[in-house]
Amino acid sequence: MTARARLAAFLPPLLPLIFSIGLAETAVRLQWVPSYLIPAPSEVFRSLLDDRIELGAAAWETLSSALVGLLLSFLAGTLFSVALSSSDLARRAFYPYAVFFQTVPIISIAPLLVIWFGFGRPTVIASAAIVSVFPIIASTLLGLKSTEPALLDLFKLYSATGRQTLWMLRIPFALPQIFSGLRIASGLAVVGAIVGEFIGGGGLGSVVDSARTQQRIDRVFAAVLISSILGLVLVGAVNFVSALSLGHWHASERKPS
Amino acid sequence: MRIVFSLLASIFLISPASAAQAPAVKLQLALNWKAEPEFGGFYAAKLAGHFDKRGLGVDITEGGAGTPVVQMVANGKVPFGIAAGDEVVIAQARGADVVALFAVYQINPQGIMVHPERGFKSIADVFNSPGILAIQSGAPYTLFLQAKFPKARVKLVPYAGGIAQFLTDAHYSQQCFVTSEPLLAKKKSAAVESFLIADEGFNPYGTVVVARRGYVEKNQKQTRDFIDAVRAGWQEYLRAPQSANALMVKLNPAIDTETMKEAADVQKPFIVSTGTQPADLGKMTVERWTTLTNQLQEIKLIQSKPAAARLFQKY
Repeated sequence: MTARARLAAFLPPLLPLIFSIGLAETAVRLQWVPSYLIPAPSEVFRSLLDDRIELGAAAWETLSSALVGLLLSFLAGTLFSVALSSSDLARRAFYPYAVFFQTVPIISIAPLLVIWFGFGRPTVIASAAIVSVFPIIASTLLGLKSTEPALLDLFKLYSATGRQTLWMLRIPFALPQIFSGLRIASGLAVVGAIVGEFIGGGGLGSVVDSARTQQRIDRVFAAVLISSILGLVLVGAVNFVSALSLGHWHASERKPS
Repeated sequence: MRIVFSLLASIFLISPASAAQAPAVKLQLALNWKAEPEFGGFYAAKLAGHFDKRGLGVDITEGGAGTPVVQMVANGKVPFGIAAGDEVVIAQARGADVVALFAVYQINPQGIMVHPERGFKSIADVFNSPGILAIQSGAPYTLFLQAKFPKARVKLVPYAGGIAQFLTDAHYSQQCFVTSEPLLAKKKSAAVESFLIADEGFNPYGTVVVARRGYVEKNQKQTRDFIDAVRAGWQEYLRAPQSANALMVKLNPAIDTETMKEAADVQKPFIVSTGTQPADLGKMTVERWTTLTNQLQEIKLIQSKPAAARLFQKY
């Protein structure tokens, strides 16, 4: 990539960022908005620098909990979807209950999670898994159901077993959907982990809780900024795996030549 | 131009000066929580007409979790508000010129409540024994206790409010107002022991009436009248809390009449001690403010120390 091409790639997302940061800084400096409503970006930046060790440790704790939660919801969600896709009856019986996970307001059941799982990491992981499981189930199920009929016929013609059809046809065919479900789920897992930490303790959730108590809104925003970076990291990781596994055959990941 | 300006002023500022022509001056007192005995004297002052008598039409507004009372006062949204002593110091250290005028609680009722079976004798025992302590992270009293007991064996967890977890878990201790949660737990027939954080040496004034310095200096008579009425209201409430309690039960049905009455009794020693003259209610000393300021600096909640004498005014 030439310097100019690189600039053309980075400028469009960079401009709104620079503009909004500049606007926020001006608004606070000129006291259009009080600094207890919106902190000046320079304050947030200073808080990021001053508290970098504590924020870094908290971010790592949140990221690892979110990752474990995501992994759990990926395993459970995929197994559940495979089971449902294999039988119409099972799908009709159980799918509505999967929607439950989509609609449950996690903040209202979080105190119960503490009673079930105890304080600390198990509660955080459970919270991350609960909020992130539905998009995985929905997308995986869609993917498994949309195998091309002609290919299914072909497999039948060669008298492939059910397991062979699943592993060699239906799952590979569903991969793009599975990955798009994972992408949505990975951002949600970070949110779920932080909500879990509000109640269960630890990580960025605790940092936000404590900063709110001290009315350190700059630290609240610093933590929020880091949590969105964590979301980006997870989505990026999913994209990377997606490119690795789909790159050589699926249109969605193939590089234009 | 003048018209535009005064129009803008009337929109953006709820300026008491502009209401001065009216027979009664309209004032607002912003609470930082729902109506409860902690604020009994303010409601009593209103009911008994102590504000009206002085030409003040006072509107008491309830708050909730996260109501930014100090900021509302600092920005002139309301003339008077309720805050904790430590909030006043922190506000001044960050450049907001808010002063304390009247302190209801001379002894801070913030405490730790535990199950008596554990045999704890003090907060030190709570910290140095295994178990769970639910406490608001980042709060001044939490930071103070963490600094005082650095080798704590207890596991600190977030405090989500209420006492549900306390009732179900024998190893669970939690923060409380000794005038509130222990009463609730006893109502659920749980045995409770509670310790004051003040006994460990951290004792900020509680339920403090605050105002902006600029406001106080500009409205000296009004402020004096307001505080006089508040003191009269508290004298009233300490003597006969029934009518104020009845009003507060209506405003905040979460607390029943019996609990209101009980809490009003329990909180008395935190407001007056033996030998307190009625005229001494709400008084503060420069020594107490100095101690608090030093403590807040030690736990790094403030970088610069405001002068203790500028934190409060005597009325």
